[in-house]
Amino acid sequence: MGHHSFIWDASDPNDPGPLIEAVVMNSPDILAAWREAGLDCPQPVKIKALVDTGAAFTIVSKTMAKHCKLFQTGQSEVRALGAYHKCGDYAGSISFPNTSLRPFESIRIRSGDFIREPHFACLLGRDVLRRWSITLDGPSKLVTITD
Amino acid sequence: MTAHAEFAEELAVFEEHRTEWSQVHPGKFVAIQDRKVAEGFFVSYAEALKAGLRAFGASREFLVKQIWLTEPVYYIS
Repeated sequence: MGHHSFIWDASDPNDPGPLIEAVVMNSPDILAAWREAGLDCPQPVKIKALVDTGAAFTIVSKTMAKHCKLFQTGQSEVRALGAYHKCGDYAGSISFPNTSLRPFESIRIRSGDFIREPHFACLLGRDVLRRWSITLDGPSKLVTITD
Repeated sequence: MTAHAEFAEELAVFEEHRTEWSQVHPGKFVAIQDRKVAEGFFVSYAEALKAGLRAFGASREFLVKQIWLTEPVYYIS
């Protein structure tokens, strides 16, 4: 069982929300096929991800999706703040460095515009969160995730 | 790798089969490249991705789509 704890001050109005470090990259199946074909595989990049129960699924910034050369497998329509947006769908994987949380391999990751968002480049949505147990101890400001 | 962001041809194939597939395989996933459909319907995205890689390779993108009669709209709040 994986485990990760961190401090998050829910009462701080300037706090963007509970963030954890994540590495987003192509799914192992894609990377294996690329290596076999002699194609370049981008180096993984560590980003900040927001634990977001309001997101139906996991979204990375379009910039990250391009940088990681994520393998696109479609597109979806998303409703956010009353407007509809087209998102790219990608075959990705997410891991959580410096934690014992298990990685998510070969999951569908969407991309979106993270306009003027300096704090994070990924929303960890309910497709990931539903496999975790997450608790917030408000008085001690402690968030605990187990899988 | 060739960019294939719109998937126009693949989506046209999907639309041709949407009614039939949604009756027989609702909620399952299918992989399509150009007008070719990878063999099988899959309970997970990951399985359909593997089937697409077996059928088409990874040199060019292909569509992996979940089968619904009405396309869902996902919410982000």
